[in-house]
Amino acid sequence: MLILTRKSGETIRIGNEIKITVLDVKGKQIRLGIDAPSDIVVHREEIYQMITQQNILAAGYDDSIGKSLSHVWNRLKNPKEEVK
Amino acid sequence: MKISTTRFGDISIDESKVIRMRGGMLGFEHLKRYEIFIQSEKIPFWWFQSVDDGSVAFVVINSLAVKQDYEPVIPAAEVKLLEIGSPEDVVLLSVVTIRSDPFKVTANLRAPIVVNAKKMLAQQVVLVDSDYPVQYPVTENSAVSKGKAKTEILPSALAL
Repeated sequence: MLILTRKSGETIRIGNEIKITVLDVKGKQIRLGIDAPSDIVVHREEIYQMITQQNILAAGYDDSIGKSLSHVWNRLKNPKEEVK
Repeated sequence: MKISTTRFGDISIDESKVIRMRGGMLGFEHLKRYEIFIQSEKIPFWWFQSVDDGSVAFVVINSLAVKQDYEPVIPAAEVKLLEIGSPEDVVLLSVVTIRSDPFKVTANLRAPIVVNAKKMLAQQVVLVDSDYPVQYPVTENSAVSKGKAKTEILPSALAL
């Protein structure tokens, strides 16, 4: 991993088109300003982690879940029917 | 082509129905080809089965069946990547998770699988600046439970 030290107000560049500026440092928090072309998607790492974990959980169900979901869906459509 | 799956046994795959992922599902980036399996046309929960790994399949639901006014902004880069020419070609699928209580079904509205049904290309897109949740409760919010049944959501383009 490349490690750079920057002060508040200083910038790094990634390639020709991406600029990341340290806007502010307060205690343990750093505010970053990111200038990037619109086709570059920027996200917080946590959202990726959350979705990856959700996918891993979702990929682990066995076939029986299909029956449970059919049941759930039918109950939603016919809420008045008693559960048998 | 025949594949061996954990849930459905040996199945033959119609190559014309194979959906090619650009980036892959997050956490499963190495798997690029999927096919949608529908167990019952009356139920909007479908299987998104990996063609490359028979043990990997996600339960998905058409996002519009969960939230009728769902209107995620698909970044221009993804539109280009998926060669989307018209919004009508797009089908949005949400990955479903189930906790111990099957009625606590949630759908991921934050990272829909955006499918270009015309070109059979797809990508799981993490929405930018979106309030749509990763775990959106299906049972409390679905269009069906609000009496606005809309189960005919199968795009003809997928011709499944």
